[in-house]
Amino acid sequence: MWQIIKSVLAAFFGVQKEARRREDFEKGRAAPFIIVGVLMAIVLVILVVLVATLAAG
Amino acid sequence: MRKRLLWTAGGFAFAGLSGLASADGWNMPVGVTDVSREIHSLHMIIFWICVVIGVVVFGAMFYSLFRYRRSQGAEASNFHEHTTVEVIWTVIPLLILVGMAVPATATLKSMYDTTEADLDVMVTGQQWRWRYEYLGEDVAFTSNLATSREQIAGEAAKGEDYLLEVDEPLVLPAGRKVRLLLTSDDVIHSWWVPDLAVKQDAVPGFVNENWVRINEPGIYRGQCAELCGRDHAFMPVVVQAVEPERFDAWLAQRKEAAAQEALGVDRDWSLEALMERGERVYGTICASCHQPDGSGSPPAFPALAGNQALLDERDRHIDTVVNGVSGTAMPAFRSTLNPVEIAAVITYERNAWGNDTGDAVQPSTIADEWLAD
Amino acid sequence: MASHLPPKPSVQYEHAAEGGAAAGAHAPARGPLRWLLTTNHKEIGTLYLVFSLCMFFIGGIFALVVRAELFQPGLQLVQPEFFNQMTTMHGLIMVFGAVMPAFVGLANWMVPLQIGAPDMALPRLNNFSFWLLPVAFTILLATLVMPGGAPNFGWTFYAPLSTTYAPPSTTFFIFSLHLAGISSILGAINIIATILNLRAPGMRMMDMPLFVWTWLITAFLLIAVMPVLAGVITMMLLDINFGTSFFNAAGGGDPVLFQHLFWFFGHPEVYIMILPAFGIVSVIIPTFARKRLFGYASMVYATASIAILSFVVWAHHMFVVGLPLVAELFFMYTTMLIAVPTGVKVFNWITTLFRGSISFEPPMLFALAFVVLFTIGGFSGLMLAISPADFQYHDTYFVVAHFHYVLVPGAVFAIMAGVYYWLPKWTGHYPHERLAQWHFWLSVIGVNLTFFPMHFAGLAGMPRRIPDYALQFADFNLVTSLGGFLFGASQLLFLVVVVRCVRGGEKAPARAWEGAEDLEWSVPSPAPLHTFETPPDFQPQQH
Repeated sequence: MWQIIKSVLAAFFGVQKEARRREDFEKGRAAPFIIVGVLMAIVLVILVVLVATLAAG
Repeated sequence: MRKRLLWTAGGFAFAGLSGLASADGWNMPVGVTDVSREIHSLHMIIFWICVVIGVVVFGAMFYSLFRYRRSQGAEASNFHEHTTVEVIWTVIPLLILVGMAVPATATLKSMYDTTEADLDVMVTGQQWRWRYEYLGEDVAFTSNLATSREQIAGEAAKGEDYLLEVDEPLVLPAGRKVRLLLTSDDVIHSWWVPDLAVKQDAVPGFVNENWVRINEPGIYRGQCAELCGRDHAFMPVVVQAVEPERFDAWLAQRKEAAAQEALGVDRDWSLEALMERGERVYGTICASCHQPDGSGSPPAFPALAGNQALLDERDRHIDTVVNGVSGTAMPAFRSTLNPVEIAAVITYERNAWGNDTGDAVQPSTIADEWLAD
Repeated sequence: MASHLPPKPSVQYEHAAEGGAAAGAHAPARGPLRWLLTTNHKEIGTLYLVFSLCMFFIGGIFALVVRAELFQPGLQLVQPEFFNQMTTMHGLIMVFGAVMPAFVGLANWMVPLQIGAPDMALPRLNNFSFWLLPVAFTILLATLVMPGGAPNFGWTFYAPLSTTYAPPSTTFFIFSLHLAGISSILGAINIIATILNLRAPGMRMMDMPLFVWTWLITAFLLIAVMPVLAGVITMMLLDINFGTSFFNAAGGGDPVLFQHLFWFFGHPEVYIMILPAFGIVSVIIPTFARKRLFGYASMVYATASIAILSFVVWAHHMFVVGLPLVAELFFMYTTMLIAVPTGVKVFNWITTLFRGSISFEPPMLFALAFVVLFTIGGFSGLMLAISPADFQYHDTYFVVAHFHYVLVPGAVFAIMAGVYYWLPKWTGHYPHERLAQWHFWLSVIGVNLTFFPMHFAGLAGMPRRIPDYALQFADFNLVTSLGGFLFGASQLLFLVVVVRCVRGGEKAPARAWEGAEDLEWSVPSPAPLHTFETPPDFQPQQH
């Protein structure tokens, strides 16, 4: 699970290692990545909303 | 030798870009408000950041293209991953942008602070003119393009302020905080004056807020920025900023004139007087859609000349002008024109271009029977 | 989705064979009916590309009408009503008729070849989704001769200008956009089904060429946002014809709601038009640098996350519409966040060039110009992301310059790079190199003459979508118009190169480019009508 989150974070950042990528694709299922990706996007949105609210203060 | 050449070339490029950036009419104006200055400096910072990144990136690219030409016998190496490098070149732009976000946030906050205004002006977009109302002062007028059709058609020489001149500018006091309340009677317009760094959409049914405090008296010109139909290019904004004392005098004079006009509602007007007044109103308000000769441009804008249905039913004619026709481009003029203007323009439409009904619609009729509620 | 087991060939190839059988037992129909009924991915790909080229020229003529009118201040050639129809039709035709179908055409041709599939997974659906397009755009073009004229409210068709105040032809415009949308969705479904099910045995997701990857992600984006577009134009339809008030403030509706819905579609749409371009360039640059793509894994991961994040930045198109402060800040921050991983992909291409062995054939020229000029479009994009500054940039020629840099030397140059790259595979001949070079240099000069001065005009205060302008913008517009005509005329050269290449030219071998490594280069040039009827023996490259 932690691996998936790390991979998704790397994707959001836009950089990934070849070795990690190979491990990810050995897993054989994409659904966990997509679900985690969408969840992380929601988390990101909430974080940015918080920052914006704070900044607007 | 080569190094010196490179430096010289770089120096020229820098001088050229700086020259461009400060040249009049090539770059964003610095403007005459604190906000416009802040925006201009944000713009210049991000511009120079882009230039620096561009020099580095394109430099590396053209170096590679030149140095590793196959025609010069370059052999391809085989590396294809370097996570550290990738992380670094992602983090640096990210930090730069975070650095940009801080001043941008501060500027945005001051732009949104519309409190403690000295004066409120309602700005209403209409196809295709602006209407300004000094709230609480009983002063309101519309501001129309003053450039002649002949200039636009190329039949007369174009003036210096071609398309950026109006019959009546928005007069504002320099040094005072003016709150602008923007809305629209028909489609979305956008009120924009580059020197004031104010661009705000005027949305029908909603009121947007912005504000301006002009540091220097002067005349500042802009345009509608949101496509609003046929004459989108022909609804300029002109702001005349004057010393506060002069502004107060101007406002008092306009108030006086408005009071005089209000007196006119109760008296009986002759057909000729109504026709004369109506022709002016028609020319500034109605002619852009229904055409100066009343021929309209069907199907969107019906003809008025020889429109029998209209001439047979006077009340329907009045209702159309006062309340508009929902679902069409015909707006309601009950709040934008005064009773004298409404009565005059209806009288004009019922008697011009061979319509000749002989009807004189009195301002008192409009005021008592149509605008009473 | 990503099965590590190779797909079971027996089942899938049976299906593909059935599709072929329906079209007449592998013997193509003769005459014009052949093109009407074809279910072959190569023929449908060709149809898409030819259609797109026609639309490119029609949309281009509309742009030249606009540029001719703007050549000088004053109204000379057309009246504002018609000018607005031209800007609107230019945008609609180029976005929905030229760029998107061109990418679908390239996908039709190349995705099956690059993954070693015999055809698209759903051949008859493929035929249907193409033939919707000529119908849709015939209807759209027919609005030009309808009473009241064609749509005149800009390609973004903001309500209420596009509803209460719109010409009667708007209902036809809505219908044609519905058809084009259905076509896109069906095309996307087909591409996803093909990529997920028909890869050659042994080819895993991560072995796919980047063009296939970017198209897979684009296809998901299409399926996600096209229904939003369909929804918003249906709401317009109801407002216009059935008395609802979704966008009519007088009836309790909200004109700004339209913009939120439109840009919720529109921003991912921007990525729909650029991600396949990234894919093409990421295939071409390694070929002509004779070196593997730098950071392949990063590219794929970033593309996927960009697709998700593209749904949370839409309101940066609406900074001056009167958003609350918090919303303004939110969309400024998210836009900056998504801009960085998008932008730094440029570094990957440049690092791919570094210490390569570079040659400059026509596809490479266009790909390199893409990298430089798209980056310039990216820079102005960064500037536009700064919300306070956007109060000055918004709805000016600065924005016009920005999105034309991203779309013309961006998407269009990538399409041309792809065409030059794969023409030998399609026709069996190399494109005429000298003519292609002329086409390239004239296009590069034309594009920059056209779009670079627009930055200055916009910063100096020229709003977009105006048929006439104040005198201080005259010089910029003069240069832009001259550049526009140069660019337009040089595209005739493109037509000449393509037609000559179809008719003959230097013979190309199966592997037409020395550094090319993907599966399409293992089949003969020109590719026969049916390829990979038996699955190829795929040896994964050590990415």
